[in-house]
Amino acid sequence: MTATAVVLLAALLVAAASLAAARRAIGSVRVPLFAAPRGSEAAGVRYAFTTAFLPRAKESAAGHLPTYVAGLAYHAGIFAALLWLAFTLTPLAPSRPLAIVLAALLALALGSGLALLAKRGSRVSLRAVSVPDDVIANLLVDATLAAGLAAALAPGAVPLFQLAGAALLLYAPLGKLRHMLFLVTSRRAWGRFYGRRGVRG
Amino acid sequence: MSAPALDLLRTGIDPRTAAFLESCVRCNLCAESCHVHLADGDPASTPAAKVQQVARLYRRYHTWSGRVAPWLTGARDLDDAALDDLTDAAFGRCTMCGRCTLHCAVGLDPANVLGLARAMLAAAGRVPAGIQANVTAALETGNSMRIPAGEVRETIAWLEDDLRQSTGDPTVELPLDQPGRRLLYALNPREIKFFPLSIQAAGLIFHAAGESWTLTSADFDITNYAYFACDRGAQAAISRKVLDRAEALGVEALVVAECGHGYRSLRWEAPEVLRRAFPFEIVSFVELLDRYVAEGRLALDPSRNAERVTLHDPCNLVRSGGVIEPQRRVLARAASDFVEMTPNREHNYCCGGGGGMLAASEYAARRVATGRLKAEQIRRTGAKTVVTPCHNCIDQLLELNKHYGLGVEIRTLAEVVADALVPPAAPPG
Repeated sequence: MTATAVVLLAALLVAAASLAAARRAIGSVRVPLFAAPRGSEAAGVRYAFTTAFLPRAKESAAGHLPTYVAGLAYHAGIFAALLWLAFTLTPLAPSRPLAIVLAALLALALGSGLALLAKRGSRVSLRAVSVPDDVIANLLVDATLAAGLAAALAPGAVPLFQLAGAALLLYAPLGKLRHMLFLVTSRRAWGRFYGRRGVRG
Repeated sequence: MSAPALDLLRTGIDPRTAAFLESCVRCNLCAESCHVHLADGDPASTPAAKVQQVARLYRRYHTWSGRVAPWLTGARDLDDAALDDLTDAAFGRCTMCGRCTLHCAVGLDPANVLGLARAMLAAAGRVPAGIQANVTAALETGNSMRIPAGEVRETIAWLEDDLRQSTGDPTVELPLDQPGRRLLYALNPREIKFFPLSIQAAGLIFHAAGESWTLTSADFDITNYAYFACDRGAQAAISRKVLDRAEALGVEALVVAECGHGYRSLRWEAPEVLRRAFPFEIVSFVELLDRYVAEGRLALDPSRNAERVTLHDPCNLVRSGGVIEPQRRVLARAASDFVEMTPNREHNYCCGGGGGMLAASEYAARRVATGRLKAEQIRRTGAKTVVTPCHNCIDQLLELNKHYGLGVEIRTLAEVVADALVPPAAPPG
């Protein structure tokens, strides 16, 4: 195992332990409810994780379609980069066609990330809610995507990709990147609320 | 700085709220879903900005980075300045209507988060005086307008007498404190003081449907300003009064008169804050009207309401209460020209008077300004009558009607249904 792989593995362990502790700290969101349900919680949760992602389901997405699509592309690239990052700890390497697809996906994600950052800096209402964490988190993700893109095109850049990934993982428990851990919990609670009350689902 | 508020922030955050606070990525896509922001264009009025007022405090006391490097995430101490900002965000710029919740791209509940802010402010003794006065009145007297039981009895007796005279039917009744009836019909105190026609309308409808029902002279109040204040202890105590009354009367159902937050606080929130279920159904009068119509218990002539009618959806009844279609089915049978506002149903805009805003006089100018969207919605329908099953919304719509020169009549659903009843009552003799 290379030195950069060891660094990546150590960062992964630190991030996992920190995030697990953060999740444990808030406790269980499932509490017994007493009001008679009007609808189905399960149907609401299904809605939350399926059709509620469609732009037509939410005014916020439909009214900001380029941003919403950029967000989806950004996250698709992040998931791909993290998956590939994990594979760099194994002897497996992507085939040339797969590497090209990966490079295209990461390039799209990188462009989306930079566009979202530019938007954050250019809109008064976005600047009003922004903190340094918004910039740092975006840049660390973008750096990982860029390094991943480089590694897809030139395998010699894999150590750089691993170091960028390690930095990202170490930062993850500190700021907004924690949402990766809580988003599912939050969205499930959201779906349960509307499902139970018969508003959605 | 307030020790009780800090204690709540440190140890009293519901896990669901914590997950919401952790999930907001400040994308601000929610901005246009908020009627307050749409009306004032102020960046401080976006749901994301309001959530951040709470999230910054949360990070300070619940995250390592917030403790060590608060500048990184904007974490801040809970001091007097923070409480001022929290008051402005939670009471001054939010009606807790939940429209941003429905449309949040991530799937979090800003209204729930602002509820935490209000709970902290309640702990700090910073609830707007007008809201707090209603809470205190309800706790001390059993209703938020301090109406004594004797006055309720006199008013109901007068209304019953008037109803019998106007219909010519001596059998029409407004029964009070009658045990053994199937339903308890609980009121918003404003009906007794200012809108007695809605009580008479309910009486006519119950009479026409052949219902077994009663009013109560004490503990009749369905409103709950402690729910607006997010003072959970007071909220539970206030809810318990009318629920205990229903239990003591042994009714099959507690029927909540037309009041959005009254319905939500009793139907959905009271069982949770009291940690128990109840041996009777808690149902909105709107749902009951829908059942009567579906069962053929009311003969309605829509031509008696021939002018164009539109419907305002109260947020707590519809978006957060799930009563979405019954009022539409009823109106379609009771009025000949019913048109929808755009947007409508769970997507409808708050009237601007929700969340206790009507009682917080310090925000009166802002409240009327944020009602501009609603006024425009109404004007676009061309309706002559606006129906809304909520006395809180009625108060705000009456003010908007005057301020924006809408020239419409604001009515409850029961009033429109009562006007469509055929025959209105059996003739005497």
